[in-house]
Amino acid sequence: MNDRDRNTAAVRTEQVWKIFEQEAEEVQAVRGVTLTIEPGEFIAMAGPSGSGKTTLLNLIGGLTRPTRGGVWVDGRDVTAMSNRALARLRLERIGFIFQAYNLLPVLTALENAEFPLLLQGVNGGERQRRVSELFERTGLAGLEDRRPGKLSGGQQQRVAVIRAVVSAPALVLADEPTANLDSAASD
Amino acid sequence: MTRTLPMVRLALRNLRRQARRSILTAAAMILGGTLLMISLPLGDGTHEDWIESAVRMGDGHLSIQAPGYHASRKIEERLSAPARAAAEGALSRPGIAEYIVDAAPRLATGGLASSPTGARPAMIVGVDPVAEARFSILDEKIAEGRYLEPDDRLAAYVGAGLVEGLDLRLGSRFVLTAQDADGEIAGQLVRVVGIYRTGIPEVDQAMIHIPLGTASSWLSAGDDVTTIALAIDQSRRVPRLARALRSDLADAIDDGSATVLTWRQAMPELDAAVKIDDFGNYIWQLIMFGIIAMGIVNTVLMSVMYRKREFGLLQALGLTPRQTGSLVMIEGLILTTLSGIIGISLGLFITWFFWRDGLDFSAIWDEEWTFSGVVMDPIVFPMFRVARIVQGLVFIFLIGSLASLYPAYRATRIDVAEAMKFDR
Repeated sequence: MNDRDRNTAAVRTEQVWKIFEQEAEEVQAVRGVTLTIEPGEFIAMAGPSGSGKTTLLNLIGGLTRPTRGGVWVDGRDVTAMSNRALARLRLERIGFIFQAYNLLPVLTALENAEFPLLLQGVNGGERQRRVSELFERTGLAGLEDRRPGKLSGGQQQRVAVIRAVVSAPALVLADEPTANLDSAASD
Repeated sequence: MTRTLPMVRLALRNLRRQARRSILTAAAMILGGTLLMISLPLGDGTHEDWIESAVRMGDGHLSIQAPGYHASRKIEERLSAPARAAAEGALSRPGIAEYIVDAAPRLATGGLASSPTGARPAMIVGVDPVAEARFSILDEKIAEGRYLEPDDRLAAYVGAGLVEGLDLRLGSRFVLTAQDADGEIAGQLVRVVGIYRTGIPEVDQAMIHIPLGTASSWLSAGDDVTTIALAIDQSRRVPRLARALRSDLADAIDDGSATVLTWRQAMPELDAAVKIDDFGNYIWQLIMFGIIAMGIVNTVLMSVMYRKREFGLLQALGLTPRQTGSLVMIEGLILTTLSGIIGISLGLFITWFFWRDGLDFSAIWDEEWTFSGVVMDPIVFPMFRVARIVQGLVFIFLIGSLASLYPAYRATRIDVAEAMKFDR
């Protein structure tokens, strides 16, 4: 793997390991994974529960650090970044969708969806334009002022999806986004 | 700013969401702020009362004297007529005159009071009867007879203790003996026109007021005086007025003919008492707010632990650990500042509403209670000062910041991946 490949790939991992210490026992959650995801590519990971899918996503998103090996996102070495730089990278380049309980309970659906834009300092008009369009496309129009507690599980996940893509990130990491939904909502 | 606003909004919403917890925390701080604003004005009022009583019985908030007189109390160390004139000139200057409530010139010396029964040491003070009656509270302590009047010449206003010691009564004559301005021993016959009782043994047994004119001619002092005692409208103005007087009397001070003493210098024991009492109050407040702070740490920390997933989510969305900690700090500060303001307002209102005309301690406080040579008034008037309100707010803000620090630190240390784990 040369530097040019690392720089052009959306995600690249090289012999990445994550070992957890659990009660004096080592748990190898990720074992020497090497992969490359090109820009525009859609990749799905499948595996049984406990196989390390979430841990690998966390490693790519910089939510946890590898025990050894390398991770590059958008050409940048995630393992060498400070916590502050990682937060910046997540804010500007990565959108996350988690399995459940994805939204901030004190904010409305609209406020949750626009939160990354707010943190990025995008002005109100632009925020409104981008979020409204996505609410229309996902069938959530009219629910903007509802708090998460007043939305169904499927509606909450759609708000989380809007929030993950609203700032047009380079990478969207979705961790079993439909695991907590019925089949109709999953579709 | 654009990034601070969503944090403040989030903090406010979080406080509202956990209303019960917020109210409990706020209640502790409101109680603290209320007690603070009851105790500070009453404490300051008590001190002002002590100071007012002491300065009216003694040499004033400020006194102009010859250097060394305060320690020696000897007539040799007196203000010469030119120094007295310079001092009286300074007192009429703008920037000084408007704050001087009363001024009393005195010619005082230690001497002996003798009657056919015996002799007692005495502090003999020549006073201007009109100025002294305005300045001192001694004329209000009358037990028999009357205070000195402008036309009096051989009159004496004597303490009950000395009257008993010398077996005197109203109208009795007795002799005062002291060293005069020329260093000669001189005697003066006077008659008792009034007897006072302050309740302070050292005053009642020793202090005698006689007319200033009588003292001047008896002691061959001319227009010289030993002290010009000054009462000003509020004791907190003392340092500023002392500076102004010292600058105005710079020549007399430089040539050693005058000095300006503050009540703190003249009555160091009272100064110490006020400082010790203030210190005691601060310690009490520190303990009280320490306990309140523990309560705040506990509730805010509980809230952080309870909201681990939320903080994890915020960091996954791009908040730095430091920003996450700031969110906890902002929540703590909003809560403590708001409740502090409510508490302070409530405390001020209660103090003003119930005790603006004085809080009567006479049930637990003997009316004859003396302290440091001063009779204490059992009715305490609260004293409201902007500086104390600001001090209270800053104090509460500091307590809020300190109490939020540890929970905020814990929020920065949250393991995001762990916090975001989904338990089916």
